[in-house]
Amino acid sequence: MPLLQVKNLTKRFGGLKAVNNVSFDIQAGEIVGLIGPNGAGKTTLFNLISGILHPEEGHIILDGQPLNQLSPPRRSLAGLGRTFQVVRPFAMTVLENVMVPLLARDPHMDKARDSAMQMLALLRLEHLADAQPDSLTLAQRKRIEVARALATRPKLLMLDEVLAGLNPTEISENLPIIRQVHEQGVTIFIIEHLMDALMAVSQRVLVMELGALIASGTPQEVTSNECVIKAYLGEETPTC
Amino acid sequence: MSAKRLQLLGGVLFAAIIAVPAFVESRFILHMVTLIFFYIAMTSAWNIPVFGGKMSLGHAAFFGLGGYTGAILYVKFGVSPWIGAAAGVAVSLLGGVVMTLPLLRLRGPFFTLASIAFAEVLRMIAIDWRSLTNGSVGLNIPFKPGWANLTFQSGKPFYFLSLILAVAVVFVAYRLRHSALGFHLRASASNDEAAQALGVDTRRAHFIALLWSSGLTGLIGVFYVFFIYVVEPSTMFSLTLFSLQPALNGIIGGIGTIWGPVIGAIVMTPFGEYLRFYLGTIQQGLNYVVYGVVLILTVNFIPGGIVSLVRPKRSNRSDGSGSSSDTKEAR
Ligand SMILES: Nc1ncnc2c1ncn2[C@@H]1O[C@H](COP(=O)(O)OP(=O)(O)O)[C@@H](O)[C@H]1O
Ligand SMILES: [Mg+2]
Repeated sequence: MPLLQVKNLTKRFGGLKAVNNVSFDIQAGEIVGLIGPNGAGKTTLFNLISGILHPEEGHIILDGQPLNQLSPPRRSLAGLGRTFQVVRPFAMTVLENVMVPLLARDPHMDKARDSAMQMLALLRLEHLADAQPDSLTLAQRKRIEVARALATRPKLLMLDEVLAGLNPTEISENLPIIRQVHEQGVTIFIIEHLMDALMAVSQRVLVMELGALIASGTPQEVTSNECVIKAYLGEETPTC
Repeated sequence: MSAKRLQLLGGVLFAAIIAVPAFVESRFILHMVTLIFFYIAMTSAWNIPVFGGKMSLGHAAFFGLGGYTGAILYVKFGVSPWIGAAAGVAVSLLGGVVMTLPLLRLRGPFFTLASIAFAEVLRMIAIDWRSLTNGSVGLNIPFKPGWANLTFQSGKPFYFLSLILAVAVVFVAYRLRHSALGFHLRASASNDEAAQALGVDTRRAHFIALLWSSGLTGLIGVFYVFFIYVVEPSTMFSLTLFSLQPALNGIIGGIGTIWGPVIGAIVMTPFGEYLRFYLGTIQQGLNYVVYGVVLILTVNFIPGGIVSLVRPKRSNRSDGSGSSSDTKEAR
């Protein structure tokens, strides 16, 4: 049984079908990429899966459990973790930021502090534990975002453009962290606008355009797919 | 100021506060300080949901529910005020449920506006339900001094009772702020969507915070009624005295912090009484004009409130981070 099943998901904003009849599966242990031009509907798809938005049609099933009727916090407790494309850490220290999801599961302060510290160590943020996030760089804030989501101990971690806006040095610092998290047994579903970075980590790639899923396959298959080339480069090809 | 010196200062101040009634015979001063203690308690209770960004302008509702419950039970049924206090808490908790369940769906300003209406409706009910409340005349607490009746010849017992209330409510607020609930509220206030995505049931957190707040406010209301010997609708459900004043104290002292409400109540209570006494005689409502000006100046020039000016500097382990964010998060 797949870890995540998405069936015929549709979301409209007025006349616009931001997500149009999208279906796919993600197997446990996979690291799946999601690409597509700006406005393709990638973030909307994440919002539907995490429960911030409600679809007009379709089903979302995590580990055999239907999610449609669950609130966002219940989906988190069911094993769904996510980051936000626009990072807005809580107005509290870095350590306290990571304690929030832990305290939602177990109210013991000392335990939460210890686990949060371990999580910060994993993401090489422990020297910033007492810092206020708004004094940090974008790359560091994006790592806080990942640390927070990871602290929920998700079965599936959905990352929305955690590399966008970073310089090459920062990307080469943050990319191995994603691999490391995956090696710890977390299934990853990752949106990235930067093709190269995404291709480097993903085992399988889904491609969206104008709300629809237009291709899926290994990074090699997808980059040679004519429809994908058209979506990205705007070239006319007879098959699309 | 270093944290140590601040602690020392606090200790000396507290000792002085306890010693005041031994030296001060002036009823006026005792009354004023007692009023300050009541407002510290009230503002700190009002401030608990503010940890989560929910500002109520309807807390007179809980204050009045508690006060009326205690008074009606005592005057009409001869029930001890101490039992009345427990009943007052229960009734204001019920009021908390009725008010917050429908309102919690509302975001920031809409929640605040809707909360005003709630207290106003209760004030109308208190005026109309004459058989129980004696209408707009209200109920007088008979003067039968003694601890059992929570009625005293001297002003000193209420000085200490209100001090205990103030310390207790500040302590509860402190504990809540540093508990899991406090984290959930603060997370929701700064980014509710992210908090929910991390598994925080933010609506439940707001609800629990409002229950703590309404229950404590009801308790304070019971004691206040026995302090002033009377309940009447226009006082107990007063928009200005018990809905706006705590909010004003909180904003000027520093909302969402522990010490902001304390400092706000200490500064604003004598100021408010002074304005009411002197300006109120010149032109009714003039004191609120001054309030408005003070509020606008505070929000514009010290948005973190007075507390943001006196907070001790914390050591910051982050490399090269400034102290610009210090004021945002108070202990
Ligand atoms: N809350 C919203 N209300 C209305 N339109 C929206 C909303 N969110 C996204 N959209 C629109 O839906 C489309 C897909 O947006 P989005 O999912 O953010 O794209 P992507 O993440 O792939 O760049 C865009 O046209 C966007 O303007
Ligand atoms: Mg997006």
